[in-house]
Amino acid sequence: MATRAAEVPTTVPALSAERPVTWPKVTKSRLANGLEIVLAEAHSIPKFHGQLSFKSGNAAAIHRGLGLAEMTATVLRTGTAKRASRQIEEDLRRLGADLSSSAGSDTSAISFAGLSELAEPLLALVNELAREASFPEPEFERERRQKLEEVKLERTQPGFLASERLRKVLFGAHPYAQVSPSEEQVAAYKRDDLLQIYRDFYTPENALLLLVGDFDAAAMLKTIEKVFGNWAGKKPVVPASATPAHPHGRKVHLVHVPGAVQTQILAGCHAIIRKHPDWIRLGLSNSLYGGAFNSRLVMNIREDKGYTYSPRSGVNPLRQYGYFSISAAVRNDVVAASLTEIFYELDKLRSVPVPEPELADARNYLSGIFSMGLATQDGLLSQLATVALNELPDDYLETYRDKVRALTPADLLATARKYFDSANMQIVVVGDRTQIEEQAHLFGDTEIFDAQGKHLS
Amino acid sequence: MNRLQIPIENTTLANGLKVVIAPDSSAPVVTLGVYYKIGFRLEPKGRSGFAHLFEHMMFQGSANAPKMQHIKLINSSGGLLNGSTHYDVTNYFESVPSNALERVLWLEADRMRALKVDDENLRNQRDVVKEEVRVNVMNQPYGGFPWLDLPPVAFRNWANAHNFYGDFADLDAADLRDVQSFFKTYYVPNNAVLLVLGDVKPGEGAALAQKYFGDIPAGPPPPFADPGEPEQKEERRGDVEEKFGTLPAMAIGYTVPKRRTNEWYAMALLDQALHGGRAGRMYRDLVLEKQIAVEADGGIEDIFGYNGPTQMVTRLLHKPEYSSETTLAAFDEVVREIQNTGISEDELNQLKVKWRSDYFSTLDGGRSGMPRYGLMHLLACFTLFDNEPQLVNSILDGFLAVKREEIQGVAKRVLRPENRAIVFRKPVAKKEAA
Repeated sequence: MATRAAEVPTTVPALSAERPVTWPKVTKSRLANGLEIVLAEAHSIPKFHGQLSFKSGNAAAIHRGLGLAEMTATVLRTGTAKRASRQIEEDLRRLGADLSSSAGSDTSAISFAGLSELAEPLLALVNELAREASFPEPEFERERRQKLEEVKLERTQPGFLASERLRKVLFGAHPYAQVSPSEEQVAAYKRDDLLQIYRDFYTPENALLLLVGDFDAAAMLKTIEKVFGNWAGKKPVVPASATPAHPHGRKVHLVHVPGAVQTQILAGCHAIIRKHPDWIRLGLSNSLYGGAFNSRLVMNIREDKGYTYSPRSGVNPLRQYGYFSISAAVRNDVVAASLTEIFYELDKLRSVPVPEPELADARNYLSGIFSMGLATQDGLLSQLATVALNELPDDYLETYRDKVRALTPADLLATARKYFDSANMQIVVVGDRTQIEEQAHLFGDTEIFDAQGKHLS
Repeated sequence: MNRLQIPIENTTLANGLKVVIAPDSSAPVVTLGVYYKIGFRLEPKGRSGFAHLFEHMMFQGSANAPKMQHIKLINSSGGLLNGSTHYDVTNYFESVPSNALERVLWLEADRMRALKVDDENLRNQRDVVKEEVRVNVMNQPYGGFPWLDLPPVAFRNWANAHNFYGDFADLDAADLRDVQSFFKTYYVPNNAVLLVLGDVKPGEGAALAQKYFGDIPAGPPPPFADPGEPEQKEERRGDVEEKFGTLPAMAIGYTVPKRRTNEWYAMALLDQALHGGRAGRMYRDLVLEKQIAVEADGGIEDIFGYNGPTQMVTRLLHKPEYSSETTLAAFDEVVREIQNTGISEDELNQLKVKWRSDYFSTLDGGRSGMPRYGLMHLLACFTLFDNEPQLVNSILDGFLAVKREEIQGVAKRVLRPENRAIVFRKPVAKKEAA
């Protein structure tokens, strides 16, 4: 080892005084047609990022067919009254733009980014896609054929199989239980279904336009008015959905993949949505448990035991319900050992108050990384989208860090007891049953499925 | 169009450590990186995967910050950290609120000065790395396709052709002596660049670098094996079994011209013409129009981030009803068309606008929540490979000056069978689940 010059400290330098975070100026507005608008200036590069979101997704379309909102979003970009598919793609390139259209459980969205100097023509193209998509029959047929290959392919991915099974178990009859269509369901898609969803969901009353980037907000608002002002349409009527399952008792759900050389573990239980008053404390509990590199779970099963590369826990908020989940891809021979540690750490948070220094570290972590998310255009866009789509209070971003910093060990103990529901945790394991069935069975009654979802005995 | 003017300060300490500072006080956040000029390409023979395993060891403890401390100190300062191993560099980087800047400098300096790890740490990280390889390669459909499949087919020099993630036998054979010797050889200040981006006052960065890194002794200049390839004279082909996936796949790689030559700039726009999203000719012809392929993408990955032989790779997943040969013939037709007719002035303009726009996104792009990762990466590579961090402001000019005939020319010269390698990834016949 080299000798050290006297002035270099051998102990960790203290943190200097914190500089206050300057919050981006957010302009909110609503056009006469109902379109909600959120704008924020961010001048790091001469570009802007945007998202036109519709507050209806696959869950709202499920009575018409599984995955139909996603299919609608996919075919949307393949033709309008004015432009054919090839023209749309070339025009996007001409504008230096990227664009994607997709649908999740709760929203359908057109997301885009482009050069500031070409903002207006890009917004005009987005407007055209939102209002004048023509869903050409041959394009629909091609996308449907393509989707058939995709649904076959996703059944070969351990991560997909695990999350599909967990959603089924946690949500039962509720639409959130269904994440992806079968081949038969895709084969039954009709172009008319897509047109109907397009007419119902893609309306200004149902929409939120969010732009972040290098522009002047006042001028941008005028452009938006010009481009989207004469659009009209009502909010869709969505049928009420069934109450989700609330599985009681810890159970194991094994998805058998012959020859798997590793086991994907995904355990979960019901939790809360973004709007819930406990959201921030559950977020902090999660970051202590398995939501950060420095968390207990990662230190235990990765840095101490070497069972896995990327263990992780997270709270997944859908609009109507949320769930907590823990994932780790582990060596086949340590499935039982990993689950033991997963539950040990969970139960420890439920029974022993978190020591104050560890809590202080976690509070710092969560408030620090939160402000980091505001430093890029797309990071800021996603924060603002979270606030707007979940109808969080206007001061949510500004007050978030203070709320995190106010939390105590007693708060966290109560939160863990309430939401880290280890007794009713549903355990999904995806792997080769010949190697893992006995180990998994130690943690509860076990049901076994194949990758297609068929029950195996 | 405005010329980029990112303010950059750069200097070299007496021990050879290069320092690049890009001050920007728009947010109270700073991103710091240390790049070492050694990647998996030139890791020791018989030790495939070692550069990456070693990267993991750099998080296992240094003289004054034992195991867990690096991670704990960054996270508890409100920051994020990671590292990654590339062909020709390995990086370690953190994003923190700017009040933690000196803490991070101290941590990076401590592990550049002296790594302090034991057998237990090595065993632990070897296990972690094996699970990383399983989750990314061995237990995934199309795992490692094509980044691990193509090099052994395309290249003859071990440096370019070996398994970069590592054969498990090689990982098992690595011991602490390998760790310390690799550290002493390549992890010296004179083989590294320190980058500080964001909330640091202009003029202060260099003094801070001197304070924390100035006393670390320089090492002998590291030896680098020659990564050069013998001239390729024939098309090369290989097969890899696909254990999980349902669709046949293939990857076609052409070795690209030397970086920062006129042909290389033209090649980058040719890449955009072929692989630029849904407007790119590969996707347009093979997925949208002929409908042979389900996926058609690729390109020159991390175009600024390599310093040795590399390829532009097209990656195709195609429908099973089309044979490999039919699919390859359709691919060849796309290539032939651009060789024979070139591109229009209109297409060239589209390509340039998109290239410029993508370049800005690269600069602003974060990575796992860490702002300015993209700018940091480019500054580091331009410093280590070209000794010219200012290229970040000027390199765009080279791409925007490319002419139509240069694109056609490079298509004719580079996209030849004798300059390519093809890997066919073929699904094995499936047994029904028991």
